[in-house]
Amino acid sequence: MTDVQTRLLRINAALDGELSAMDQAAFDRELGEDPALAREFARLSAVREATRRAAPRERAPSGLADRIAALGKAPGATVVPLSEAAARRPERTPSSTGRAAMGLAASFAALGFALGVGLTALRTGDATREADAPIVSDFARAAIAGQPYDVASSDRHTVKPWLAVRTTVSADIVDLAAQGYPLAGGRVTVVDRVPAPTLVYRHNEHFVALTELPSSLARTAGDGAVESVDGYHVARWLEGGLGFIAVTDADEAALAKFVSAFRTARKGVGE
Amino acid sequence: MRRQDPAALARARFSEIVPHLLDDAYSLAKWLCHDASDAEDVVQEAALKALKALETVSVDRPKSWFLTIVRNSAVTWMTRNRSKRLAYAGGMDDLDALGAGDLEAPPNPEQALIALEDTERLRQAIADLPPPLMEILVMRDVNGLSYREIADATGAPIGTVMSRLSRARVQLARRLKAEP
Repeated sequence: MTDVQTRLLRINAALDGELSAMDQAAFDRELGEDPALAREFARLSAVREATRRAAPRERAPSGLADRIAALGKAPGATVVPLSEAAARRPERTPSSTGRAAMGLAASFAALGFALGVGLTALRTGDATREADAPIVSDFARAAIAGQPYDVASSDRHTVKPWLAVRTTVSADIVDLAAQGYPLAGGRVTVVDRVPAPTLVYRHNEHFVALTELPSSLARTAGDGAVESVDGYHVARWLEGGLGFIAVTDADEAALAKFVSAFRTARKGVGE
Repeated sequence: MRRQDPAALARARFSEIVPHLLDDAYSLAKWLCHDASDAEDVVQEAALKALKALETVSVDRPKSWFLTIVRNSAVTWMTRNRSKRLAYAGGMDDLDALGAGDLEAPPNPEQALIALEDTERLRQAIADLPPPLMEILVMRDVNGLSYREIADATGAPIGTVMSRLSRARVQLARRLKAEP
């Protein structure tokens, strides 16, 4: 490398703050003593400043920003092989109820087909395992995304009206805190294009999500017995013309206890 | 909850890192691709790669890490879809060598400085730089990466980074000086 080259690299390194403290001090001294060096430094400094002005960091388009942000939340981008429906489901934003509602509206459209196919089985009666799949997937998606509910509240007077304006079923929210299942929040699960309320209860570090299906969809057979679906525990039962499906990542006994507590408490509320 | 799920872990890491770097990533990709919509595709592809990678790695220097992925995605993208853009006359040796004339001061320094005020011309001059020079200039002056980080991102030795950056700036100065 020639002296000229070395000199030029040094000027650039000084400009970019890449010289060591010792080298920088020496360079600064030379600048004062060497007018040619000072001129060249000024010229390259002007080029650098002009480049920064002409080529500022640009703001990414909001559509791109939204898509990238969604990658960090929705399982759609990675492999969560639970069901087609979960993979297609756009992420909701629980931080803002307004945006959650918009996301929900979008999810209706996206889910219509997937769930319509998935839940044909539910209508036709026996194939209850297939019928559960979208709801189990919904649980898995919410759990993996770390957003088990869209409205977070342990107060049923907050959760109930939130769900009421978004679903056709008036959810009976029972207080199970004393039994070890405090209410954590609620979310809407779309089943066969019908938004159904899902109550989310906490149990230690686990969640139990209870979806109430309107009578039009409540054809799932079941007596509250606990089954295993895709690694989660599921229980379903019919009561008062409504279908109930509870999904949890807690163990079998915890779900059985929950189902029993819920059914008992709900009878008390209904009476 | 399934705390050990690698995909969930990756998404958590991803959300911490990538959204904050999006403007940097987009700006870099847009310069490298010469096109806003290609840049979006490249950034999205890079983000998917990053998400996948975060399942197994945690990252100490997220900015240079992600911009490296963006840069590599852009190079792949351009090679695959816009190969003509990448072709340029002259070998690397020519790029990395600095001529003696590079250090000559312009005959009229004021004129050169005025030319630098013409943002559009300067942007065009940057866009016309050979890709190996341009990417280093953008990573340095747009993204603010250090020489070491640029060397890691481009796979070039640090001395090469220094000479290309120097060369890029000198070319810009000359080009603006030469034009009316």
